[in-house]
Amino acid sequence: MMSEDPEVGPKLREADVPQRYEFPDVGLVVNLHPGGEGEQNVAWVWSDEVAWEPQVRLTMGVDTANRYFQGKENVAIAIARRKIKAGGDVKAALVVIPLLKPVFEHYRRMVVAEYPHLEV
Amino acid sequence: MTLAKAAAIVGVSPGTLGRWVRDGLIPQYLDEWTPAALGQARLVVRMRERGYTVAQIKAATADGRLAFGPLTELFATGERTYSARQAASAADLDAAIVVRLAGVLGLRPEDGFSEDDIQLFQYIAAVLDAGMPVDATLQLARVYLNAMSQVADAEVRLVHLFVHEPLMRSGGTSEEMAQELLLLAGGTLPLASPLFDRLHQRMLAQFIEQDVIGHMETEVGADQVDIGRMRVAIAFADLTGYTRLTEEEGELAALDIVEKFTESVLVTLPDDARVIKTIGDEVMVIGGDPVALTEWAVGFQQLHNEPPLPRIAVHYGYALYRDGDYYGREVNLASRVAARSAGGEVLVTRPIVEAVGHDLAFEHLADIRLKGFAEATELFTARPAPE
Repeated sequence: MMSEDPEVGPKLREADVPQRYEFPDVGLVVNLHPGGEGEQNVAWVWSDEVAWEPQVRLTMGVDTANRYFQGKENVAIAIARRKIKAGGDVKAALVVIPLLKPVFEHYRRMVVAEYPHLEV
Repeated sequence: MTLAKAAAIVGVSPGTLGRWVRDGLIPQYLDEWTPAALGQARLVVRMRERGYTVAQIKAATADGRLAFGPLTELFATGERTYSARQAASAADLDAAIVVRLAGVLGLRPEDGFSEDDIQLFQYIAAVLDAGMPVDATLQLARVYLNAMSQVADAEVRLVHLFVHEPLMRSGGTSEEMAQELLLLAGGTLPLASPLFDRLHQRMLAQFIEQDVIGHMETEVGADQVDIGRMRVAIAFADLTGYTRLTEEEGELAALDIVEKFTESVLVTLPDDARVIKTIGDEVMVIGGDPVALTEWAVGFQQLHNEPPLPRIAVHYGYALYRDGDYYGREVNLASRVAARSAGGEVLVTRPIVEAVGHDLAFEHLADIRLKGFAEATELFTARPAPE
């Protein structure tokens, strides 16, 4: 979704901020890395078996992640409430946050169409 | 158009205008008095009135420094032939209101009013007819004027820096530069109104939604105070060591850091909060929800772990809303609290502690008599609550 988005994908590649998201309540980890020349804009690996070091690490429950990607969770407030834990070069997260906003609408449409019980 | 008529329009004698043409002060004149040539002639008049010599104006014209001037012709407002009483009659407004509006809009009744001014008054009369009170309408007019003034200033400065100066450096002729700038203005000006309209509607939708939510959370009649006075959460945030940073890193590097800081405030603020103004590296934020704004401040600090660290103060109290800004004792107090905070710290006052409750951890720091305040203010640091 992020990688193919004509607006978001190239910007995430350009921002060049490798990110690690951990969802401890379901035991999942995903690592994102900007693609190289000729590759997709963002590479996703659902494990820590990656050849790069994440610059930003965000840990959150899936409920928070679901709210966040629907544009309903303010990152700063979620951090203050300890719903999101940020690590690494947290300042780099501020570069990524505005880039992801266009993804929210895609995600909301997908939730409404395919997983209406997750709509918030 | 004859030389005599052009001279009459510009306001000089035909002899003077003819001499300016011969001296090369009006390169736009090519056997015809086009609007661009008349614009340049008016510009020469203004330059002469400011004391510049013909030789100085000729040199500035030749190297393109005046190429921007003829563009003012695109915004000619027509002759000011209407008195305040006539303008009031044409717009169906009280003459006293026309005079007050003129003051707000930067018009001088003693100069008279043009057809364009009357059109403006007619728009405002329609706003009043629709039910907007006079005081609110005057404040709105002031806000529009300030906002448009800021937009126009930015447009002129940015075109100057990014278009006009590079053209001058490229060594083009004065006519080429004027032509280039006219093309730019002609291509972009028609887009301004639809662009403003779309942005205005988008922002209106956003703020109406916030207002509706605010009403849902406020009991009618509760905390009844004067019109224009409202209880708001006020935050001031800036960067510690900004002055030293400017000295050490240079103005451009420091400005880059400030722009990123302001941008990071904008992208992380809660929905009901907004940046009211920025002064250097300081940002003033107003929000309707003291809990959300304080939580934002605490979370925002967690997103900064290297210098220059922000320092933030949050206070909750009644402020007077006027002309798009917030004023009063409580705003001053919030600003003073911010001056007491250290890098990486969020300082808050007693009303914030009481509004937020146990969602965050507060530590009483001290009771401090802030500059300009007779009584001491209780100050607390705010942090995430323990896990």
